[in-house]
Amino acid sequence: MATATARISNRDEQDVDEMSETPDFGDHVDNTIFSQLLEMDDDDERDFSGPLVENFFEQADETFVNMDLALTKKDLEELSKLGHFLKGSSSTLGFNKIRDSCQIIQQYGHKLNVDGSDEKDEKVCLTKIEAAIQVAKVDKKELEKLMNDFFGKAK
Amino acid sequence: MPPADGDAASAPAGNNSSDFVRKLYKMLEDPSYNSVVRWNSDGDSFVVLENEKFTKTILPKHFKHSNFASFVRQLNKYDFHKVRHNEESGESPYGRDAWEFRHPEFRADRKDNLDNIRRKAPAPRKPVPAEESAFPATQQLVVLSESLTATQHQILALQEQYYELDKTNRLLVSEVLSLQKMVRAQSQASNELITHLNNMEDRRRNSRHSAHSNHSAQASQNFHAGTMGFLPDGTDEPAPELRRAREILNGVSPDVQADRELEKLSMAQTQNQNGSPADSAGSSVMFAHPASMGIPLVHDPLNDSRHMVYPVGQTTGIDPFHADHINNIPYQRPQGHPNNPQADATAQVAAPTKEQAGSMWRAKKPHVLLVEDDRTCMKIGQKFLNNLDCNVDTASDGLEAVEKVNREADRYDLIVMDIIMPNLDGVSATAMIRVVSPHVPIVAMTSNIRQEDIQTYFGFGMNDVLAKPFTRDGMVRILRKHLTRMLKDPQGSGPIGGNDELGQTIAGGQPPNQVGYGPATIANVPQVKFEHTPIQSPSTASSWHSPSQMHQTSPNLDGSGGGYMNAVGGGAGTSMVLTPGGSQRPGGPHQQHPHHPHQQQQQGGYGYMAAQVAGAQAAQAQAQAQAQAQAQAQAMRGMVGDGAHLAGMQGSGGGGGGDDRPEKRQRLYGPVPGQGGGGYVQ
Repeated sequence: MATATARISNRDEQDVDEMSETPDFGDHVDNTIFSQLLEMDDDDERDFSGPLVENFFEQADETFVNMDLALTKKDLEELSKLGHFLKGSSSTLGFNKIRDSCQIIQQYGHKLNVDGSDEKDEKVCLTKIEAAIQVAKVDKKELEKLMNDFFGKAK
Repeated sequence: MPPADGDAASAPAGNNSSDFVRKLYKMLEDPSYNSVVRWNSDGDSFVVLENEKFTKTILPKHFKHSNFASFVRQLNKYDFHKVRHNEESGESPYGRDAWEFRHPEFRADRKDNLDNIRRKAPAPRKPVPAEESAFPATQQLVVLSESLTATQHQILALQEQYYELDKTNRLLVSEVLSLQKMVRAQSQASNELITHLNNMEDRRRNSRHSAHSNHSAQASQNFHAGTMGFLPDGTDEPAPELRRAREILNGVSPDVQADRELEKLSMAQTQNQNGSPADSAGSSVMFAHPASMGIPLVHDPLNDSRHMVYPVGQTTGIDPFHADHINNIPYQRPQGHPNNPQADATAQVAAPTKEQAGSMWRAKKPHVLLVEDDRTCMKIGQKFLNNLDCNVDTASDGLEAVEKVNREADRYDLIVMDIIMPNLDGVSATAMIRVVSPHVPIVAMTSNIRQEDIQTYFGFGMNDVLAKPFTRDGMVRILRKHLTRMLKDPQGSGPIGGNDELGQTIAGGQPPNQVGYGPATIANVPQVKFEHTPIQSPSTASSWHSPSQMHQTSPNLDGSGGGYMNAVGGGAGTSMVLTPGGSQRPGGPHQQHPHHPHQQQQQGGYGYMAAQVAGAQAAQAQAQAQAQAQAQAQAMRGMVGDGAHLAGMQGSGGGGGGDDRPEKRQRLYGPVPGQGGGGYVQ
């Protein structure tokens, strides 16, 4: 079953890739998703995708601030919420690395391990979350640079 | 052109002369114009000496206009010609700016001859209309060829779709076949286990009585035996569970005929594999449907063998979450709360009935409410939908969404809803929206697509799931599927639209009596009966949505276990009613609800797994043909009940019917603990 259908979907993906010349962002970005985003630009001006990505980084910065705040308050629930929030936008843009970190934050915010099993020790959760936030921040910085280059916002 | 003259031309009365020529002659008769316009010395032509003066003073007087060019055009129409003076000096004798016109019949001394000067025959005009009609002709040609190209594209798309369907179909049939093998192997294994347990039981009873709990524990490693653990009766009877289990297993004699049909089907499909779409004639023979030939077969969902395959097949080995399947589901998804039959009333899928338009739409663009708290997702979703020519309203949380729908319940054709949102989450919002708008399709847009999550969404009245991050294709699929009626080319949506249609059409009918309905014809086996209601059981439904990583093993295993159990139950002569919707029929037209159970009782049971059904006995069938509202879990319990009953009768295999009314079953065994999940994860 999977073989036949997989072939079909692969073909689709290739089509997408061919249609837009998406640069390689490495494992930061899911190119299928991201190129779809670029396709929605009406012309080569990147009028749509550009601001969207820019907004995302602003949003990410805000969220990181809130996360740090919640971390000091040891507010796991808030952390989980924030993780989920940023996970949504990052995954919608195809920013996989950040998404994965957010997933970790969300999970441990719910006192769950990544595999879904319970993690009763709040300290462990907070440590894991703190680490994930750090990773996300680094990834965000790297990605932002790549994106700035791509969107021609050399600063 | 002076109007008077035009009239003259078309008025051929007594005198044929034209006003224009007369006016011209009259003008030339006036000696006061001599310096401006006059006959030439020979009187066979006239000369306009002073162009400007002529245009400004004389033309208005005689021809009611002051346009020299127009005057010249008029002259030309009457076949006057400008006289050129190229010889010798190349200079007109009347000066450089003079215009001399001549007509053979127009002479100063031949006033009587004016009638012979006529407008040139309409000959020169003819080409004009000819051109005019030629133009639309070529245009028509262009339009025709354009539409031809479009049609060709459509056909190509249809062909592609056909191939995909064909492929899926074939895979599903082979899936069913392998599942049959598995079931057989499993029942063998069960037999072994039972034998083993019997032996142990014997040994233990020699030493000690009442060791049933052990059995249950061991037995529960096995699907079939597992459910029997419900009844640890602790009597001195020689392990009734074991006897029952054996009875059940013995009851499962594979239906050879159905098996053969299935084999044939798979063979036919294999043959088809190499053929062109036209070759599907072979499979239309299989379907025993006279009308289905070639491609149309694909779009005749009634005869689509998927209807036979899907309900039978478990999810093992299939990646049911793959988009290709998810969009090929031949029936609608459930809405009602799995454990609350009442929810059926409010939760119903109905594609919007309005006739529509647009680019991809028929008459009206669909109105979509996008509920999403995240700015980025919101923007992208909005853009997607706008690009797909939808009118989009947005709400940033569940509360706002509910408010918007409350304000105008019929405004939206589709609601796309995030799940986790501040103030009010998507699931709760859906539940609230369902109160005022039971029909609008609500699609969960979320990254939480674990099976349990999806069950919850469906349980609270959502109709579908769009996984985040969503793709344009995913969005298109959702639109095509849920707004089929608004599409310009519903056919283009292929199986999706077609099947929605099917669901609607069939819903009203009396399921068992539908003549010519695919499956019945296909198998030509009395045991193969299909539930025609488009509703789907949570268990079946959920399996389609299990995230791909679940594949064969893991969470789904439980579900499939239940599936097998049911199938076997059917085989045991109890013939359970396994509808595509299983026991729970949330999405169905609930007006059908009240009489449904009766229909089924009268019809006897319809075991889905034709291969496993061993001629249902009516009495027992009744036992299982309970109200749709009873969850499958309950059906399971019913079977256990049967078993208990049979145990006392030493496996006579008959007459469980009377005692197995759902009400009684409920009384006897009460709600099973954890029934909440039991609906799907048996």
